[in-house]
Amino acid sequence: MRLLGLGSVIAYRALFNWTTPIVFVGSLLIGPLFQLIFFAYVGRELAVGDDRFYIVGNAVLSVAWTCVFGGTMAIGNERRFGTLGHVLLSPRSRTLIFLGRATPYAANGLLVAAVILTVGALLLGLHIPASAIPLLALCLAVSAVACAFFGLTLGALGLRFRDIWVISNVTTALMVLLTGVNVPFDQLPWFLRAIGAALPVTHAAAAARDAAGGAGLTGIAPNLLTEAGIGVAYAVLAAVLLRIFEAESRRRASLDTL
Amino acid sequence: MKTLRMLLMGMLFHLKHSSRSPFEIGSFVVVPIVQATLAVYLFRAAAEPQKLLQAAVGAGMMGVWSSVLFGAGGAIQMQRWQGTLEMLMLAPRRPVMVFLPITLANGAMGSYALLATLAWGRVLYGIELDFAHPFAFPVAALVTVLSLGAFGILLASLFILVRHANAFMNALEYPIWLLSGMLLPIASLPAWTGPIAAALPTTWGARALREATAGGAVWPSLGLCAVISAVCLGLGALALVHVERKARAAATLALA
Repeated sequence: MRLLGLGSVIAYRALFNWTTPIVFVGSLLIGPLFQLIFFAYVGRELAVGDDRFYIVGNAVLSVAWTCVFGGTMAIGNERRFGTLGHVLLSPRSRTLIFLGRATPYAANGLLVAAVILTVGALLLGLHIPASAIPLLALCLAVSAVACAFFGLTLGALGLRFRDIWVISNVTTALMVLLTGVNVPFDQLPWFLRAIGAALPVTHAAAAARDAAGGAGLTGIAPNLLTEAGIGVAYAVLAAVLLRIFEAESRRRASLDTL
Repeated sequence: MKTLRMLLMGMLFHLKHSSRSPFEIGSFVVVPIVQATLAVYLFRAAAEPQKLLQAAVGAGMMGVWSSVLFGAGGAIQMQRWQGTLEMLMLAPRRPVMVFLPITLANGAMGSYALLATLAWGRVLYGIELDFAHPFAFPVAALVTVLSLGAFGILLASLFILVRHANAFMNALEYPIWLLSGMLLPIASLPAWTGPIAAALPTTWGARALREATAGGAVWPSLGLCAVISAVCLGLGALALVHVERKARAAATLALA
Protein backbone atom coordinates (compact mmCIF):
# COMPACT_ATOMS: atom_id res chain seq x y z
CA MET A 1 0.00 0.00 0.00
CA ARG A 2 2.91 2.29 0.82
CA LEU A 3 4.46 1.59 -2.56
CA LEU A 4 1.19 2.34 -4.30
CA GLY A 5 0.25 5.43 -2.26
CA LEU A 6 3.47 7.24 -1.47
CA GLY A 7 5.31 6.01 -4.55
CA SER A 8 2.63 7.17 -6.93
CA VAL A 9 2.37 10.61 -5.31
CA ILE A 10 6.15 11.13 -5.44
CA ALA A 11 6.23 9.97 -9.07
CA TYR A 12 3.34 12.30 -9.89
CA ARG A 13 5.14 15.30 -8.42
CA ALA A 14 8.37 14.41 -10.16
CA LEU A 15 7.11 13.39 -13.58
CA PHE A 16 3.95 15.36 -14.30
CA ASN A 17 5.31 18.49 -15.98
CA TRP A 18 2.09 20.36 -15.45
CA THR A 19 1.97 20.56 -11.65
CA THR A 20 3.17 24.18 -11.41
CA PRO A 21 0.16 26.50 -10.92
CA ILE A 22 0.54 28.47 -14.17
CA VAL A 23 0.85 25.33 -16.31
CA PHE A 24 -1.91 23.55 -14.41
CA VAL A 25 -4.33 26.44 -14.91
CA GLY A 26 -3.29 27.14 -18.52
CA SER A 27 -3.17 23.58 -19.79
CA LEU A 28 -5.68 21.75 -17.64
CA LEU A 29 -8.29 24.37 -16.81
CA ILE A 30 -8.30 27.20 -19.36
CA GLY A 31 -7.61 25.02 -22.41
CA PRO A 32 -10.42 22.49 -21.78
CA LEU A 33 -12.76 25.26 -20.59
CA PHE A 34 -12.38 27.11 -23.90
CA GLN A 35 -12.81 23.81 -25.71
CA LEU A 36 -16.13 23.40 -23.90
CA ILE A 37 -17.19 26.98 -24.71
CA PHE A 38 -16.12 26.59 -28.36
CA PHE A 39 -18.19 23.46 -28.91
CA ALA A 40 -21.14 24.81 -26.92
CA TYR A 41 -21.30 27.78 -29.30
CA VAL A 42 -20.82 25.52 -32.33
CA GLY A 43 -23.69 23.38 -30.99
CA ARG A 44 -25.91 26.44 -30.50
CA GLU A 45 -25.16 27.75 -33.99
CA LEU A 46 -25.61 24.44 -35.80
CA ALA A 47 -28.36 23.17 -33.49
CA VAL A 48 -26.66 19.77 -33.34
CA GLY A 49 -27.06 19.41 -29.60
CA ASP A 50 -28.22 21.50 -26.66
CA ASP A 51 -26.01 23.06 -23.98
CA ARG A 52 -26.31 20.01 -21.75
CA PHE A 53 -24.98 17.80 -24.53
CA TYR A 54 -21.87 19.91 -25.04
CA ILE A 55 -21.17 21.18 -21.52
CA VAL A 56 -21.52 17.84 -19.75
CA GLY A 57 -19.82 15.94 -22.59
CA ASN A 58 -16.80 18.23 -22.77
CA ALA A 59 -16.48 18.32 -18.99
CA VAL A 60 -16.17 14.52 -19.02
CA LEU A 61 -13.71 14.74 -21.91
CA SER A 62 -11.53 17.14 -19.92
CA VAL A 63 -10.36 14.22 -17.76
CA ALA A 64 -8.64 12.85 -20.87
CA TRP A 65 -6.24 15.80 -20.99
CA THR A 66 -4.91 15.05 -17.54
CA CYS A 67 -4.95 11.30 -17.80
CA VAL A 68 -3.69 10.75 -21.35
CA PHE A 69 -0.81 13.20 -21.05
CA GLY A 70 -0.28 12.18 -17.42
CA GLY A 71 0.01 8.50 -18.29
CA THR A 72 2.45 9.37 -21.05
CA MET A 73 4.54 11.47 -18.70
CA ALA A 74 4.38 8.82 -15.94
CA ILE A 75 6.49 6.50 -18.07
CA GLY A 76 7.89 8.63 -20.90
CA ASN A 77 9.45 11.18 -18.55
CA GLU A 78 11.29 8.42 -16.66
CA ARG A 79 13.15 7.80 -19.88
CA ARG A 80 13.57 11.52 -20.65
CA PHE A 81 14.90 12.30 -17.18
CA GLY A 82 17.22 9.26 -17.27
CA THR A 83 15.57 7.43 -14.35
CA LEU A 84 13.85 4.62 -16.24
CA GLY A 85 16.72 2.21 -15.69
CA HIS A 86 16.57 2.76 -11.92
CA VAL A 87 12.85 2.01 -11.83
CA LEU A 88 13.26 -1.15 -13.88
CA LEU A 89 16.05 -2.29 -11.56
CA SER A 90 13.68 -2.09 -8.60
CA PRO A 91 13.18 -5.41 -6.78
CA ARG A 92 9.46 -4.61 -6.46
CA SER A 93 6.83 -5.40 -9.07
CA ARG A 94 7.14 -2.85 -11.86
CA THR A 95 3.57 -3.63 -12.91
CA LEU A 96 2.39 -2.57 -9.45
CA ILE A 97 4.64 0.51 -9.50
CA PHE A 98 3.35 1.69 -12.86
CA LEU A 99 -0.33 0.80 -12.36
CA GLY A 100 -0.24 2.61 -9.02
CA ARG A 101 0.73 5.75 -10.84
CA ALA A 102 -2.75 5.96 -12.35
CA THR A 103 -4.24 6.98 -8.98
CA PRO A 104 -2.99 10.61 -8.78
CA TYR A 105 -3.86 11.21 -12.41
CA ALA A 106 -7.37 9.90 -11.87
CA ALA A 107 -7.79 12.17 -8.83
CA ASN A 108 -6.38 15.08 -10.82
CA GLY A 109 -8.73 14.34 -13.73
CA LEU A 110 -11.72 14.24 -11.39
CA LEU A 111 -10.76 17.62 -9.92
CA VAL A 112 -10.25 19.17 -13.37
CA ALA A 113 -13.55 17.82 -14.71
CA ALA A 114 -15.45 19.04 -11.65
CA VAL A 115 -14.01 22.55 -12.06
CA ILE A 116 -14.67 22.59 -15.83
CA LEU A 117 -18.26 21.39 -15.37
CA THR A 118 -18.98 23.93 -12.62
CA VAL A 119 -17.42 26.92 -14.41
CA GLY A 120 -18.83 25.89 -17.81
CA ALA A 121 -22.35 25.50 -16.41
CA LEU A 122 -22.15 28.84 -14.59
CA LEU A 123 -20.77 30.73 -17.61
CA LEU A 124 -23.23 29.29 -20.12
CA GLY A 125 -26.23 29.15 -17.81
CA LEU A 126 -26.81 25.41 -17.63
CA HIS A 127 -28.95 24.38 -14.67
CA ILE A 128 -27.92 21.09 -13.13
CA PRO A 129 -30.31 19.81 -10.45
CA ALA A 130 -28.66 19.26 -7.06
CA SER A 131 -29.99 15.71 -7.01
CA ALA A 132 -27.92 14.92 -10.12
CA ILE A 133 -24.59 15.98 -8.60
CA PRO A 134 -23.72 12.69 -6.79
CA LEU A 135 -24.36 10.67 -9.96
CA LEU A 136 -22.41 13.17 -12.06
CA ALA A 137 -19.52 12.87 -9.61
CA LEU A 138 -19.70 9.09 -9.95
CA CYS A 139 -19.63 9.32 -13.77
CA LEU A 140 -16.62 11.66 -13.65
CA ALA A 141 -14.81 9.40 -11.17
CA VAL A 142 -15.34 6.24 -13.26
CA SER A 143 -14.27 8.09 -16.40
CA ALA A 144 -11.17 9.47 -14.65
CA VAL A 145 -10.06 5.99 -13.55
CA ALA A 146 -10.71 4.53 -17.03
CA CYS A 147 -8.82 7.41 -18.69
CA ALA A 148 -5.90 7.06 -16.26
CA PHE A 149 -5.45 3.39 -17.23
CA PHE A 150 -5.87 4.30 -20.89
CA GLY A 151 -3.13 6.93 -20.40
CA LEU A 152 -0.88 4.29 -18.82
CA THR A 153 -1.49 2.01 -21.81
CA LEU A 154 -0.27 4.78 -24.10
CA GLY A 155 2.57 5.51 -21.67
CA ALA A 156 3.62 1.84 -21.87
CA LEU A 157 4.32 2.43 -25.55
CA GLY A 158 6.99 4.80 -24.27
CA LEU A 159 9.07 1.75 -23.42
CA ARG A 160 9.05 0.76 -27.07
CA PHE A 161 8.80 4.00 -29.08
CA ARG A 162 11.08 6.98 -28.80
CA ASP A 163 8.58 9.77 -29.38
CA ILE A 164 5.37 8.94 -27.59
CA TRP A 165 4.19 12.54 -27.37
CA VAL A 166 2.91 12.25 -30.90
CA ILE A 167 0.75 9.31 -29.77
CA SER A 168 -0.78 11.20 -26.86
CA ASN A 169 -1.26 14.32 -28.97
CA VAL A 170 -3.03 12.49 -31.78
CA THR A 171 -5.05 10.42 -29.29
CA THR A 172 -6.49 13.47 -27.53
CA ALA A 173 -7.40 14.97 -30.92
CA LEU A 174 -9.09 11.70 -31.93
CA MET A 175 -11.01 11.56 -28.65
CA VAL A 176 -12.61 14.92 -29.47
CA LEU A 177 -14.01 13.31 -32.63
CA LEU A 178 -14.68 9.69 -31.64
CA THR A 179 -16.17 9.80 -28.14
CA GLY A 180 -19.49 11.28 -29.21
CA VAL A 181 -18.84 14.30 -27.04
CA ASN A 182 -19.08 16.79 -29.89
CA VAL A 183 -20.57 14.89 -32.81
CA PRO A 184 -23.63 12.83 -31.81
CA PHE A 185 -22.56 9.19 -31.77
CA ASP A 186 -25.27 8.09 -34.21
CA GLN A 187 -23.99 10.58 -36.80
CA LEU A 188 -20.63 8.85 -37.04
CA PRO A 189 -20.07 5.97 -39.48
CA TRP A 190 -20.03 2.45 -37.99
CA PHE A 191 -16.24 2.03 -38.01
CA LEU A 192 -15.69 5.30 -36.14
CA ARG A 193 -18.45 4.34 -33.69
CA ALA A 194 -16.72 0.98 -33.14
CA ILE A 195 -13.43 2.71 -32.26
CA GLY A 196 -15.21 5.29 -30.11
CA ALA A 197 -17.08 2.59 -28.20
CA ALA A 198 -13.75 1.09 -27.12
CA LEU A 199 -12.42 4.41 -25.81
CA PRO A 200 -12.89 5.75 -22.31
CA VAL A 201 -15.12 8.85 -21.94
CA THR A 202 -17.66 7.70 -24.59
CA HIS A 203 -19.93 5.79 -22.21
CA ALA A 204 -19.25 8.01 -19.19
CA ALA A 205 -20.25 11.09 -21.20
CA ALA A 206 -23.52 9.42 -22.20
CA ALA A 207 -24.16 8.40 -18.58
CA ALA A 208 -23.32 11.89 -17.30
CA ARG A 209 -25.70 13.51 -19.78
CA ASP A 210 -28.46 11.16 -18.66
CA ALA A 211 -27.67 11.91 -15.02
CA ALA A 212 -27.77 15.67 -15.66
CA GLY A 213 -31.11 15.12 -17.37
CA GLY A 214 -32.59 13.53 -14.27
CA ALA A 215 -31.92 9.80 -14.84
CA GLY A 216 -31.37 7.65 -11.76
CA LEU A 217 -28.62 5.18 -10.97
CA THR A 218 -30.42 2.34 -12.72
CA GLY A 219 -30.81 4.48 -15.82
CA ILE A 220 -27.11 5.26 -16.12
CA ALA A 221 -25.82 1.92 -14.81
CA PRO A 222 -25.37 0.20 -18.21
CA ASN A 223 -23.16 2.99 -19.59
CA LEU A 224 -21.33 3.37 -16.30
CA LEU A 225 -20.58 -0.36 -16.06
CA THR A 226 -19.37 -0.39 -19.66
CA GLU A 227 -17.03 2.51 -18.89
CA ALA A 228 -15.75 0.69 -15.80
CA GLY A 229 -15.20 -2.46 -17.89
CA ILE A 230 -13.23 -0.44 -20.44
CA GLY A 231 -11.10 0.93 -17.60
CA VAL A 232 -10.36 -2.59 -16.31
CA ALA A 233 -9.53 -3.75 -19.85
CA TYR A 234 -7.03 -0.92 -20.28
CA ALA A 235 -5.48 -1.66 -16.87
CA VAL A 236 -4.88 -5.27 -17.95
CA LEU A 237 -3.60 -4.14 -21.35
CA ALA A 238 -1.24 -1.63 -19.73
CA ALA A 239 0.14 -4.32 -17.39
CA VAL A 240 0.69 -6.74 -20.28
CA LEU A 241 2.32 -4.13 -22.50
CA LEU A 242 4.57 -2.95 -19.67
CA ARG A 243 5.85 -6.49 -19.14
CA ILE A 244 6.34 -7.16 -22.84
CA PHE A 245 8.02 -3.85 -23.61
CA GLU A 246 10.21 -4.00 -20.50
CA ALA A 247 11.54 -7.40 -21.56
CA GLU A 248 11.92 -6.18 -25.13
CA SER A 249 13.75 -2.98 -24.17
CA ARG A 250 16.17 -4.99 -21.97
CA ARG A 251 16.78 -7.40 -24.82
CA ARG A 252 17.39 -4.62 -27.34
CA ALA A 253 19.28 -2.43 -24.85
CA SER A 254 17.04 0.47 -25.80
CA LEU A 255 15.99 1.58 -22.31
CA ASP A 256 17.53 5.05 -22.41
CA THR A 257 17.25 5.65 -26.13
CA LEU A 258 15.81 9.06 -26.77
CA MET B 1 18.66 40.87 -50.76
CA LYS B 2 20.82 39.66 -47.88
CA THR B 3 17.85 39.89 -45.53
CA LEU B 4 15.60 37.98 -47.91
CA ARG B 5 18.24 35.29 -48.30
CA MET B 6 18.55 35.00 -44.55
CA LEU B 7 14.78 34.68 -44.17
CA LEU B 8 14.58 32.00 -46.85
CA MET B 9 17.57 30.04 -45.56
CA GLY B 10 16.23 30.30 -42.02
CA MET B 11 12.82 29.03 -43.14
CA LEU B 12 14.38 26.17 -45.05
CA PHE B 13 16.57 25.24 -42.11
CA HIS B 14 13.62 25.23 -39.73
CA LEU B 15 11.48 23.20 -42.14
CA LYS B 16 14.26 20.62 -42.44
CA HIS B 17 14.69 20.56 -38.67
CA SER B 18 10.96 20.03 -38.14
CA SER B 19 10.90 17.28 -40.76
CA ARG B 20 13.21 15.22 -38.53
CA SER B 21 10.77 15.31 -35.63
CA PRO B 22 8.23 12.47 -35.53
CA PHE B 23 6.16 14.58 -33.14
CA GLU B 24 5.89 17.50 -35.54
CA ILE B 25 5.31 15.31 -38.57
CA GLY B 26 2.74 13.13 -36.80
CA SER B 27 0.88 16.04 -35.26
CA PHE B 28 0.90 18.28 -38.31
CA VAL B 29 -0.17 15.46 -40.63
CA VAL B 30 -2.87 13.79 -38.55
CA VAL B 31 -4.45 16.47 -36.35
CA PRO B 32 -5.71 18.72 -39.22
CA ILE B 33 -7.33 15.68 -40.82
CA VAL B 34 -9.07 14.87 -37.54
CA GLN B 35 -10.29 18.46 -37.26
CA ALA B 36 -11.54 18.43 -40.85
CA THR B 37 -13.42 15.17 -40.21
CA LEU B 38 -14.95 16.64 -37.06
CA ALA B 39 -16.08 19.75 -38.94
CA VAL B 40 -17.60 17.69 -41.76
CA TYR B 41 -19.59 15.47 -39.40
CA LEU B 42 -20.73 18.45 -37.34
CA PHE B 43 -22.05 20.25 -40.41
CA ARG B 44 -23.59 17.04 -41.76
CA ALA B 45 -25.32 16.48 -38.44
CA ALA B 46 -26.66 20.02 -38.70
CA ALA B 47 -28.07 19.20 -42.14
CA GLU B 48 -26.14 22.06 -43.70
CA PRO B 49 -24.30 20.25 -46.51
CA GLN B 50 -24.11 23.46 -48.55
CA LYS B 51 -21.68 24.79 -45.95
CA LEU B 52 -19.35 21.79 -46.05
CA LEU B 53 -16.75 23.62 -48.15
CA GLN B 54 -16.77 26.52 -45.69
CA ALA B 55 -16.41 24.02 -42.85
CA ALA B 56 -13.39 22.41 -44.57
CA VAL B 57 -11.78 25.82 -45.15
CA GLY B 58 -12.53 26.80 -41.54
CA ALA B 59 -10.97 23.56 -40.26
CA GLY B 60 -7.92 24.22 -42.44
CA MET B 61 -7.60 27.70 -40.99
CA MET B 62 -7.80 26.18 -37.50
CA GLY B 63 -4.86 24.00 -38.50
CA VAL B 64 -2.87 27.02 -39.69
CA TRP B 65 -3.39 28.73 -36.35
CA SER B 66 -2.45 25.59 -34.38
CA SER B 67 0.68 25.26 -36.48
CA VAL B 68 1.76 28.85 -35.82
CA LEU B 69 0.83 28.70 -32.13
CA PHE B 70 2.44 25.37 -31.27
CA GLY B 71 5.18 25.74 -33.86
CA ALA B 72 6.42 29.13 -32.64
CA GLY B 73 6.15 28.16 -29.00
CA GLY B 74 7.39 24.62 -29.50
CA ALA B 75 10.38 25.64 -31.60
CA ILE B 76 11.57 28.14 -29.01
CA GLN B 77 10.93 25.76 -26.15
CA MET B 78 12.83 23.05 -28.03
CA GLN B 79 15.79 25.38 -28.57
CA ARG B 80 15.68 26.21 -24.88
CA TRP B 81 15.79 22.47 -24.05
CA GLN B 82 18.56 21.90 -26.57
CA GLY B 83 20.55 24.80 -25.15
CA THR B 84 20.60 26.72 -28.44
CA LEU B 85 18.34 29.61 -27.47
CA GLU B 86 21.25 31.65 -26.10
CA MET B 87 23.14 31.08 -29.35
CA LEU B 88 20.21 32.42 -31.32
CA MET B 89 19.93 35.49 -29.11
CA LEU B 90 23.68 36.07 -29.47
CA ALA B 91 23.46 36.07 -33.27
CA PRO B 92 24.73 39.36 -34.78
CA ARG B 93 21.32 40.14 -36.29
CA ARG B 94 18.22 41.71 -34.83
CA PRO B 95 16.22 39.16 -32.80
CA VAL B 96 13.22 39.58 -35.09
CA MET B 97 15.31 38.48 -38.07
CA VAL B 98 16.39 35.38 -36.19
CA PHE B 99 12.90 34.32 -35.12
CA LEU B 100 10.83 35.42 -38.12
CA PRO B 101 12.02 32.50 -40.30
CA ILE B 102 10.84 30.11 -37.57
CA THR B 103 7.35 31.56 -37.37
CA LEU B 104 7.11 31.88 -41.16
CA ALA B 105 8.14 28.25 -41.53
CA ASN B 106 5.39 27.30 -39.10
CA GLY B 107 2.90 29.30 -41.14
CA ALA B 108 4.10 27.50 -44.25
CA MET B 109 3.68 24.15 -42.48
CA GLY B 110 0.18 25.27 -41.52
CA SER B 111 -0.68 25.75 -45.18
CA TYR B 112 -0.50 21.94 -45.40
CA ALA B 113 -3.48 21.87 -43.02
CA LEU B 114 -5.47 24.01 -45.43
CA LEU B 115 -4.55 21.89 -48.44
CA ALA B 116 -5.02 18.61 -46.58
CA THR B 117 -8.48 19.47 -45.27
CA LEU B 118 -9.63 20.48 -48.75
CA ALA B 119 -8.15 17.34 -50.34
CA TRP B 120 -9.59 15.16 -47.55
CA GLY B 121 -13.02 16.73 -47.98
CA ARG B 122 -12.93 16.31 -51.76
CA VAL B 123 -11.67 12.72 -51.85
CA LEU B 124 -13.52 11.22 -48.87
CA TYR B 125 -16.68 13.27 -48.57
CA GLY B 126 -17.11 14.43 -52.15
CA ILE B 127 -17.16 18.10 -51.25
CA GLU B 128 -17.23 20.16 -54.44
CA LEU B 129 -14.36 22.66 -54.46
CA ASP B 130 -16.65 25.28 -55.93
CA PHE B 131 -15.04 28.53 -54.82
CA ALA B 132 -16.84 31.80 -55.42
CA HIS B 133 -13.49 33.46 -56.23
CA PRO B 134 -11.20 30.64 -57.41
CA PHE B 135 -8.29 32.96 -58.21
CA ALA B 136 -8.61 35.05 -55.05
CA PHE B 137 -8.62 31.95 -52.82
CA PRO B 138 -4.95 30.90 -53.28
CA VAL B 139 -3.83 34.53 -52.94
CA ALA B 140 -5.90 34.90 -49.77
CA ALA B 141 -4.49 31.63 -48.42
CA LEU B 142 -0.89 32.68 -49.12
CA VAL B 143 -1.27 36.16 -47.61
CA THR B 144 -3.08 34.74 -44.57
CA VAL B 145 -0.40 32.12 -43.94
CA LEU B 146 2.40 34.71 -44.22
CA SER B 147 0.46 37.16 -42.05
CA LEU B 148 -0.02 34.58 -39.34
CA GLY B 149 3.67 33.78 -39.55
CA ALA B 150 4.38 37.46 -38.86
CA PHE B 151 1.82 37.44 -36.02
CA GLY B 152 3.77 34.51 -34.58
CA ILE B 153 6.60 36.92 -33.76
CA LEU B 154 4.46 38.51 -31.06
CA LEU B 155 3.83 35.06 -29.62
CA ALA B 156 7.52 34.20 -29.86
CA SER B 157 8.44 37.22 -27.72
CA LEU B 158 5.97 36.05 -25.08
CA PHE B 159 7.25 32.47 -25.24
CA ILE B 160 10.85 33.56 -24.74
CA LEU B 161 9.99 35.54 -21.64
CA VAL B 162 7.89 32.96 -19.87
CA ARG B 163 9.32 29.69 -18.69
CA HIS B 164 6.11 27.76 -19.15
CA ALA B 165 5.26 28.71 -22.71
CA ASN B 166 3.33 25.47 -23.22
CA ALA B 167 0.68 26.64 -20.73
CA PHE B 168 -0.01 29.65 -22.93
CA MET B 169 0.02 27.54 -26.07
CA ASN B 170 -2.51 25.10 -24.66
CA ALA B 171 -4.72 27.95 -23.44
CA LEU B 172 -4.68 30.00 -26.65
CA GLU B 173 -5.78 27.47 -29.27
CA TYR B 174 -9.55 27.34 -28.79
CA PRO B 175 -10.11 31.04 -27.88
CA ILE B 176 -8.60 32.18 -31.19
CA TRP B 177 -10.58 29.56 -33.14
CA LEU B 178 -13.72 30.83 -31.43
CA LEU B 179 -13.07 34.59 -31.56
CA SER B 180 -11.85 34.57 -35.16
CA GLY B 181 -14.98 32.90 -36.46
CA MET B 182 -13.08 30.07 -38.11
CA LEU B 183 -15.89 27.52 -37.85
CA LEU B 184 -18.90 29.60 -36.82
CA PRO B 185 -19.88 33.23 -37.45
CA ILE B 186 -18.65 35.84 -35.01
CA ALA B 187 -22.21 37.17 -34.85
CA SER B 188 -23.18 34.12 -32.80
CA LEU B 189 -20.81 35.20 -30.00
CA PRO B 190 -21.59 37.79 -27.31
CA ALA B 191 -21.28 41.39 -28.59
CA TRP B 192 -18.40 42.23 -26.24
CA THR B 193 -16.12 39.82 -28.10
CA GLY B 194 -16.46 41.90 -31.31
CA PRO B 195 -13.66 44.43 -30.61
CA ILE B 196 -11.27 41.66 -29.55
CA ALA B 197 -12.05 39.71 -32.72
CA ALA B 198 -11.58 42.82 -34.86
CA ALA B 199 -8.05 43.29 -33.52
CA LEU B 200 -6.94 39.76 -34.46
CA PRO B 201 -5.37 39.11 -37.87
CA THR B 202 -6.80 35.58 -37.71
CA THR B 203 -10.33 37.03 -37.85
CA TRP B 204 -9.66 38.90 -41.08
CA GLY B 205 -7.68 36.05 -42.61
CA ALA B 206 -10.49 33.59 -41.87
CA ARG B 207 -13.01 36.10 -43.21
CA ALA B 208 -11.03 36.61 -46.43
CA LEU B 209 -10.88 32.86 -46.99
CA ARG B 210 -14.59 32.49 -46.24
CA GLU B 211 -15.42 35.29 -48.69
CA ALA B 212 -13.21 33.71 -51.35
CA THR B 213 -15.11 30.47 -50.73
CA ALA B 214 -18.70 31.61 -50.38
CA GLY B 215 -18.65 35.06 -51.98
CA GLY B 216 -17.99 38.57 -50.75
CA ALA B 217 -15.34 41.29 -50.88
CA VAL B 218 -12.10 39.35 -50.31
CA TRP B 219 -9.53 42.12 -50.67
CA PRO B 220 -10.58 44.51 -47.85
CA SER B 221 -10.53 41.64 -45.34
CA LEU B 222 -7.22 40.39 -46.69
CA GLY B 223 -5.74 43.89 -46.58
CA LEU B 224 -6.79 44.29 -42.95
CA CYS B 225 -5.26 40.90 -42.13
CA ALA B 226 -1.96 41.96 -43.70
CA VAL B 227 -1.95 45.40 -42.03
CA ILE B 228 -2.72 44.06 -38.54
CA SER B 229 -0.06 41.37 -39.00
CA ALA B 230 2.49 44.00 -40.07
CA VAL B 231 1.67 45.99 -36.92
CA CYS B 232 2.06 42.80 -34.87
CA LEU B 233 5.38 42.15 -36.58
CA GLY B 234 6.57 45.66 -35.63
CA LEU B 235 5.32 45.27 -32.07
CA GLY B 236 6.85 41.81 -31.89
CA ALA B 237 10.23 43.15 -33.08
CA LEU B 238 10.17 45.80 -30.35
CA ALA B 239 8.96 43.28 -27.78
CA LEU B 240 11.74 40.86 -28.71
CA VAL B 241 14.39 43.51 -28.01
CA HIS B 242 12.73 44.35 -24.69
CA VAL B 243 12.24 40.70 -23.79
CA GLU B 244 15.81 39.84 -24.70
CA ARG B 245 17.15 42.55 -22.38
CA LYS B 246 14.79 41.51 -19.61
CA ALA B 247 15.65 37.82 -19.97
CA ARG B 248 19.38 38.62 -19.96
CA ALA B 249 19.03 40.84 -16.86
CA ALA B 250 16.96 38.26 -14.99
CA ALA B 251 19.08 35.39 -16.35
CA THR B 252 15.94 33.43 -17.27
CA LEU B 253 16.67 32.82 -20.95
CA ALA B 254 17.85 29.25 -20.58
CA LEU B 255 15.51 28.23 -17.78
CA ALA B 256 12.98 25.69 -18.98
